[in-house]
Amino acid sequence: MNLLLKTFAVGLGVLLANAASAQSDGNGSENEFFLDRPDSTKYAVILAGPTVGDENKSQFRQWAFSLHDILARDYGYSSDTISLLYDRGEVEGAGSQRIDAACDLVGIQQEFARLQSVVQPGDQITIYLIGHGSGAEEESKFNIVGPDITGGQFAGMLDVFDQQDMIIVNTTSASYGFSASLSNEGRVVVSSTRSSSEKFDPIFSNYFIEALDNRNGDRDKNNRVSILEAFNYAKSNVEEFYEEQGRLASEHAGLDDNGDALFSLNPTVAEIDGRLAEIAYIDNLVDDTAGLSAEAIQLKSRMQDLERSVFILRGRKVEFLEQDYWQQMEELLVDLARATGQFNEVVNQGESIEQ
Amino acid sequence: MKSLTRVSQLNSKPMARKHSTAAVLLLASLAFSVSAQDSGQTNTGESALFRGEQLLMTGSYAAATDIFQMADGLDRNEGLVGASKAFAMMGNYIDAMSVVENAIEDDEYASFPLLSTQLAEVKRAVGESKEALEILESVVAGLAEPPVRTLVQYGSLLDFVGQRQIAFSILDRAMQRYNNGLVFASEDVAMVALASWLMGNFHDANSLFNEATRANPNNLEAHSLWGDLFLEKYNASDAERSYQEAIDINGRYVPALVGMANVVGDERALQRALAINPNSIPAMETYGQLLMVNGREEEAHDYFERVLALNPESLKTLSVLASQAALEERSADYEGYLAQVESFSPNNPIFLGNVADSFGNNYLFDEAVVFARAAIAADPQYWQGYTLLGSNLIRLGEEEEGKTNLEIGYENDPFNVLTSNMLKVFDTLETYRTLESEHFKVHMSENDADVLWPYLEPLLEESWVTLTAKYGFEPEGPILIEVFEKSEDFAVRSVGLPDIGPLVGICFGKVITLISPDTLSANWQEIVWHEFMHVITLQMTGNRMPRWLSEGISVYEEREGRPYWGRSQGLDLVRASEQDKLLHVADLNSGFSGAQNSADLGFAYFQAYLVVDFIADEYGFEKLVELVDQYAFIKEEEERFDEVFDQNLGQFDAAFRGWIDRRVAEINVYVHTEDLPDEGDGHGHGVRENSSAILAELYNNVSLKQHMRARIEENDRDFQAYLQLGIVLFKEESFFEAKQYLNQAYELLPSYTGYPSPPLVLSQIYEQEGNREAQLQQLELLLQNLQHDYASAIILAEAALEESNFERAEYYIDRAIQVDPYRADVHQLKASYAETIGDSQLAVTEYEVLLKLEINDPAEAQTNLAQAYLNNGQALQAKENILRALETAPSYQRAQRILLQSIDGDSD
Repeated sequence: MNLLLKTFAVGLGVLLANAASAQSDGNGSENEFFLDRPDSTKYAVILAGPTVGDENKSQFRQWAFSLHDILARDYGYSSDTISLLYDRGEVEGAGSQRIDAACDLVGIQQEFARLQSVVQPGDQITIYLIGHGSGAEEESKFNIVGPDITGGQFAGMLDVFDQQDMIIVNTTSASYGFSASLSNEGRVVVSSTRSSSEKFDPIFSNYFIEALDNRNGDRDKNNRVSILEAFNYAKSNVEEFYEEQGRLASEHAGLDDNGDALFSLNPTVAEIDGRLAEIAYIDNLVDDTAGLSAEAIQLKSRMQDLERSVFILRGRKVEFLEQDYWQQMEELLVDLARATGQFNEVVNQGESIEQ
Repeated sequence: MKSLTRVSQLNSKPMARKHSTAAVLLLASLAFSVSAQDSGQTNTGESALFRGEQLLMTGSYAAATDIFQMADGLDRNEGLVGASKAFAMMGNYIDAMSVVENAIEDDEYASFPLLSTQLAEVKRAVGESKEALEILESVVAGLAEPPVRTLVQYGSLLDFVGQRQIAFSILDRAMQRYNNGLVFASEDVAMVALASWLMGNFHDANSLFNEATRANPNNLEAHSLWGDLFLEKYNASDAERSYQEAIDINGRYVPALVGMANVVGDERALQRALAINPNSIPAMETYGQLLMVNGREEEAHDYFERVLALNPESLKTLSVLASQAALEERSADYEGYLAQVESFSPNNPIFLGNVADSFGNNYLFDEAVVFARAAIAADPQYWQGYTLLGSNLIRLGEEEEGKTNLEIGYENDPFNVLTSNMLKVFDTLETYRTLESEHFKVHMSENDADVLWPYLEPLLEESWVTLTAKYGFEPEGPILIEVFEKSEDFAVRSVGLPDIGPLVGICFGKVITLISPDTLSANWQEIVWHEFMHVITLQMTGNRMPRWLSEGISVYEEREGRPYWGRSQGLDLVRASEQDKLLHVADLNSGFSGAQNSADLGFAYFQAYLVVDFIADEYGFEKLVELVDQYAFIKEEEERFDEVFDQNLGQFDAAFRGWIDRRVAEINVYVHTEDLPDEGDGHGHGVRENSSAILAELYNNVSLKQHMRARIEENDRDFQAYLQLGIVLFKEESFFEAKQYLNQAYELLPSYTGYPSPPLVLSQIYEQEGNREAQLQQLELLLQNLQHDYASAIILAEAALEESNFERAEYYIDRAIQVDPYRADVHQLKASYAETIGDSQLAVTEYEVLLKLEINDPAEAQTNLAQAYLNNGQALQAKENILRALETAPSYQRAQRILLQSIDGDSD
């Protein structure tokens, strides 16, 4: 892992978390979400419901297993922090060792109970729903083994995690109503469809997982993938898919992270939805400042300050004349580039000396 | 934009009624009781009038004439009108007139308004408008409240003879009658609808036809007139529905059959109409026009002569004949037809509009514009004239003036689908960019401007240089090219309507419309080359090229443009020769106009090309140019061929057939009758699918193998049998045997490019066997004749780059771009190639395109572009781009280094 990039990531995460906290609270309370501290733990729960037909079964299994493996391989999750509840709890052939339980009501209740017993305040829980959905509004359901579960029931189960940051990625068909039930302040909810009429199996999940794989979705090149980045990657590719097929899109993904249960189709940090999602990272943050010299730590601090200035300037872009904006941006970016170069030199010299 | 569509059942009345429905019912019931008491009865006990109407409605016209004439008492006059209508439906206009005329005593027309009106209608139908006018005038002048039908027929006739102001005042009386709540019967409501239509109140007309057909769903006249209204507004689907509703009630209702033929171009519907009414003037007019389009002029003229013998005032026929005279520059004839029209309908704008339309349909847009202007001058309220003027100006590249005229047309007739469609395309064009090269001006979407233009511009200029030199002719420019992303926009811009079939490009002489290659899976460069060739031949002849020759030369020049472009349809040629389906050279246009499916159409292009190839091969290229030059002058086809080849058409055709026979002998393959021709879309541009071979790929069965082996046994030059057997064996993984049959298929017909072809299947076999060298050899063979394959070109380009064979890599990269310039992998390949050979400018071009195509990692794409700029010595552009990359990804160290290099040459 690149030491420098990880170090940058720590500073950036804290910086944006503060910004998001300030933006999300209009009443002056100090709720803070997605602080992304190195000492917090991130948990992932993958719920893959049952299906009929070999093609669907194979597709859902591939998505669930791939997601499991990518999270374990690239994002720092372990068997203690990742759970897979799959269909009836078993699978023919290889891969069954990944499965923790069946995707039925008991399995889900037990998993959330287990999670409740281990999580700490400030930890992050990401729930991925793969499979079929049905119904509309409060009757919207996620198909599990046995009686299906409604959005309201599922939201009730999540209430106990009020001290944790919560991300729900619902990739099922007709996912909108179910997802809307889960909307809450400080929660990032992704729905692969924008209405209950979008009832055909979406391909959003495929591209969302692809965004995580090899960090393909990392648009800002910080070597981390945020939910906003993964969402935008998947959304663009879904659009491209339907365009290439010459078909009208039967799915339109949305994201809600301000708790109003209204999903934005084009979330950005400049819009109502998108601010939390941008700082909601999937991977665990590692504090790797240990071992740096005082000069290196000072340079890193300078880099973090400059980076923060870049983000602040970018957020205020509309307030500037084009020319003035780019002039200021250039100054900041040149300073940041020079500081980074100096930092690298110092770190490399230190490594040479140690050798 | 508005469109004239069927109004819903809940649609409000077009005008306020002052009387209640109860009054309507009362009057209707009174009328019925009177008629039941006094009328003559048939042997079924029904009144003769009732029975006659039933027979008329169901198409038993002969019986209806007898039964109607049995009506007596109060029904007598209505019965005679019915009999007259039934006679007219069978084309017996003499009896249709006499049956009513004999009942009108002492020419007291006003005393017999229904009989007189019917008499006038028949007289108008047979070209006796003057007498008809006198009769109707007499009725209207003699009665305080003439029947609604009389008023509307009188108004319509006045309008026809050019007395528009009086016409409108009469028609307005019918309208007022309706507004006063005095029009109840469905038949009269339909007449008020017609009045509204004639006065330009199209929305009211639509609502009234709806009311009329709801009041009496069996009102055939209302259904048919409603269909006519839709047809006039180019609303084909609603027109078809209206005609169909009439036909469902009466399959022998000639006006609806003719209407239907107008919508769908169905020759059989016209034959049926003429079988029912051999003197149907609209049927003969429509049939004549259809025959003209199909190049069967003599037959068409027979019909037109019969029409004029029946009705010397047939405006449509006189327009067609006048148009033809004008097209052939027979001024005296044209003036004669014009004078004929002037004699009964002075200053008729529709006549001039029809002539304008004919010129436009024959690609003579300058002349079309002149006639459209004349039509508008004759009647500034002839809104169709503005549409004609606008659409033809657009085809001349006069976009602003064209749009202005379309807007006038739309403001006054918003229901004309043609007008509104064309204006909608202007909305699309407003979002497009305009790019210019030395000889071309191109409108295209942002996406095409970014991705396509870098490759389109050099191709256009190359086509200009190559083809203008070859033909010794420089067309008037700049040539306007419009590249549409949506096929509907392309179709509307080209023909005004959104469905144009499988066309991918159209040339109007100075304007070319194209479908964006982004929506195609064909070699777009070949299409562009083909269309530009049309520019040359059309302009060389003042747009007087026959379609077959223009297409033939454009296809011929495809092969001249690149050796792997053009059409290889050896199997089709052998099949056509065996089945004697080659058209006579004199009939080549009918191959296009009469094509029943895309295979027919594809072969029409191919045969046209073969004739051109024959000319160049046998007589020399200069003779081909001489032949083109001949079309700049109006003369007989025989005369042209005689002058150029010193042969008449028959001799030329015989020589062509001899040449074809030699060619077929050279191809020397056997085509089994059970095999279908390959089919493809895009008028021959694109891969053509071999359905038999595709089935062989799907069905891997023993009987198929046995059958194919038997075919080979029967004839050892049966190409398809070898191919299909090879495919089945490939699917069975019997590679050794499969290769034998596929190689034999290839040797029989190396130029075969249908999908799947022997080299394609062989390449897959070698790929599965891990024999990369052989796989690449087969792909090379494949691409020697196939210009539409992207994937094979990419594989060959990658292989060439691996071997540092840069010339070959460049060639195959270009081949891939010719098929699909919108895929990132080919540009990534070309950028790598450019960097490897040190062509920094080319690298910049490719990274610019890649930036536009990238959706997942824009910061990386921007960084790559900045690096390319830097390598190309464009530090400022490098800085601009890298700042944008870093704005998104400020911590991206590669980008940071490029930023420092771009501002001060600093580097890591």
